[in-house]
Amino acid sequence: MKKIVLSFLSSLKLTVALLIIIAALSILGTVIPQQYGPGESLTHMSPGLVKTFRSLQLLDLYHSVWFIILMCLLSLNLIACSLKRFPTSWKLFTATPSLDRTKPFEDLSPDNILMIEGERSGITSRVEHLLMKRYKRFRRRDTDTTTTFYGEKGAYSHFGVYIVHASILIIIAGAIIGSLWGFEGFVNLAEGESTDTVYVGRQKSLKELDYTVRCDKFSITYYANGMPKEYRSDLSFLENNAVIFQGPLLVNHPVTIKRIKFYQASYGTIPGGRVHITITRGNDKGTTLTVDLKDSFYLKENGAKVTIQRIEENFMSMGPAVLLSIHSSEANMQLWVFKDIEKMKQAIPNLLQKVPKFNPSLFKPYFFKLNTIAHTYYTGLQVSYDPGVSIVATGAFFIVFGFFLAFFSSHKRLWVRVDEQEGKTRIMVSAQSNKDPVGLEREREYLLRHFKKGSEVII
Amino acid sequence: MIINTTILSWVTFIYFASAIFYLFRMVTGKQFWGPLASWSALAGLIAQTAGILLRWFESYKMGIGHAPLSNLYESLIFFAWTIVFLYLIVEWRIKSRNIGAFVIPFAFLSMAFASFSPNVNTRIQPLIPALQSNWLISHVITCFFGYAAFTIACGLGFMYLLKGLEKGESSGPFLRFLPRREILDELTYHSVVIGFIFLTLGVITGSVWAYSAWGSYWSWDPKETWSLITWLVYAAMLHSRFLRGWKGKRMAIMSIIGFASVLFTYFGVNYLPGLHSYF
Repeated sequence: MKKIVLSFLSSLKLTVALLIIIAALSILGTVIPQQYGPGESLTHMSPGLVKTFRSLQLLDLYHSVWFIILMCLLSLNLIACSLKRFPTSWKLFTATPSLDRTKPFEDLSPDNILMIEGERSGITSRVEHLLMKRYKRFRRRDTDTTTTFYGEKGAYSHFGVYIVHASILIIIAGAIIGSLWGFEGFVNLAEGESTDTVYVGRQKSLKELDYTVRCDKFSITYYANGMPKEYRSDLSFLENNAVIFQGPLLVNHPVTIKRIKFYQASYGTIPGGRVHITITRGNDKGTTLTVDLKDSFYLKENGAKVTIQRIEENFMSMGPAVLLSIHSSEANMQLWVFKDIEKMKQAIPNLLQKVPKFNPSLFKPYFFKLNTIAHTYYTGLQVSYDPGVSIVATGAFFIVFGFFLAFFSSHKRLWVRVDEQEGKTRIMVSAQSNKDPVGLEREREYLLRHFKKGSEVII
Repeated sequence: MIINTTILSWVTFIYFASAIFYLFRMVTGKQFWGPLASWSALAGLIAQTAGILLRWFESYKMGIGHAPLSNLYESLIFFAWTIVFLYLIVEWRIKSRNIGAFVIPFAFLSMAFASFSPNVNTRIQPLIPALQSNWLISHVITCFFGYAAFTIACGLGFMYLLKGLEKGESSGPFLRFLPRREILDELTYHSVVIGFIFLTLGVITGSVWAYSAWGSYWSWDPKETWSLITWLVYAAMLHSRFLRGWKGKRMAIMSIIGFASVLFTYFGVNYLPGLHSYF
């Protein structure tokens, strides 16, 4: 029974099957809207379907029991496969073949054999010189009539595959450590606001930090074409009311305070706000006022009271506007003051006749102009701590290193025997490799070409 | 029209001509077309390189300088560039023009889509904050070299399946010109290995970038997930080579399925909600 389980776990078929099943399940996760995903469009599905998916844990698929089981199986499979095959690789790495063996030289094709005119000892030393230069692991064995050389290189290439597989286990371990002891939090902070707690995880539970974060200012800058150029939060971090760090937080430039990282994740505007309006009387220079919503001011000439009733970012698709209500002894009126009134008048020539309420000089002799609506922004901060990151990064580094060993290096083993036959010196070359036959062929050709050099070749 | 996009839309026609020459060579069986095909591919590559560099230069002149790798148009152009670049290296290394007819058309299609689709904006746009990162260049380059290697593998897969239709001497030059199936199998394997390494590097650079931009190196965003799916498909393919009976035809089919996954990672994901939506 134990044997069956082990051979099942260490089978390559299981590897391939698991890889394909994990891929298929991942596809499902991109098709079914995920509960905590960016789409959050569960409302598009029928409640019955949502219920079924939820009971099958398909709405948070990458953290479901299915996914975890598959990842565990894959890890076990990796470990079992490696344990099963490693002893063989180790043997190949450490093996020191006997140089008396004739097997490598049996059935050699003629182009692996050189017949050279010349003294054997001189040729032997030339062969040795060349091989010693090219092979670090090199041995020589002499008998009365023959000299045999053995050289090998790239024996470490047997370990490439283990390094890759170990790296994957390291990455998985790092991910587990991160999910167990790390956290991903979120907090929205209005300008001027501060907090020492953030929302953490799916359940949005509260987590207290060791210090206080304050958003001093949030700003957006734009390119000439209107695309956003920079989102910037100016943050202060305080401990016991003393500032321990102050600086800007930008997208792609997180700030780390006591191992916790802060990211510029989102922003928004807080409803309400204030406006800057200019009041002109006849041909005078005009006065500009900053007024909060629902606040009032008085026109000094006639004592009329003007109240900001409403502030609209985009009123009737005609841009920013404020609703003023004006009370004086002569009149009671409401009027909409637009920021882009000139443009509107051009677009609709008789606009002010049609809708007197949009006329900025309805309350004579005054002319109202909306300059800007002042925003109060809030910044959305992502607050994360992940102790597994350096482990995952280590795994990522070694997986690439392992790939190069596994795919681009090969264990080349070379036997060369020099002896005499029919009064000539014979060199036999036998080369083996665990992969990369093309590279091996190139090596063989190189050696034969250089053994020939400077001697008279007979065949 | 700005000069760089004009050059690049002409490159489309050069690649089209090159693809046709490779095809003529296969259909007519005349070597005459071969050098013409190779040289036009090389000429296209040089012109395209000039076009890309010019675009880079122009973006700096506009005051919004950045490498031209930042939107769909620029990525399609770069995709075509990597395909032709990698293909010409392969052609030079294996000293055979037989696979050009199955690879250059992909470069042409990518260029044509970039240059002539009304849905692709060819203007140079400034970088939004999320893209302002030193990781942009290394992430895009590694990913697209991976994609290009997988494209070549897919072309080889088609060739393998076509070669199976050959029936001795009675087959036309087209099928006879296709390399032997063992060679195609070997080449497919090597292309997939190159693609797999680049894809891995692309995922790693992407993760590092995500870690500094989004606060998490992995967040199961659809593009991330699909790159993992692609990675798993090719990982399965590389392992199944060691299974009995999995060499040959099944590998050819796997290389085509893998490429479909690459295409979905590249284009299809845009129809799913996620963080990569600006691409």
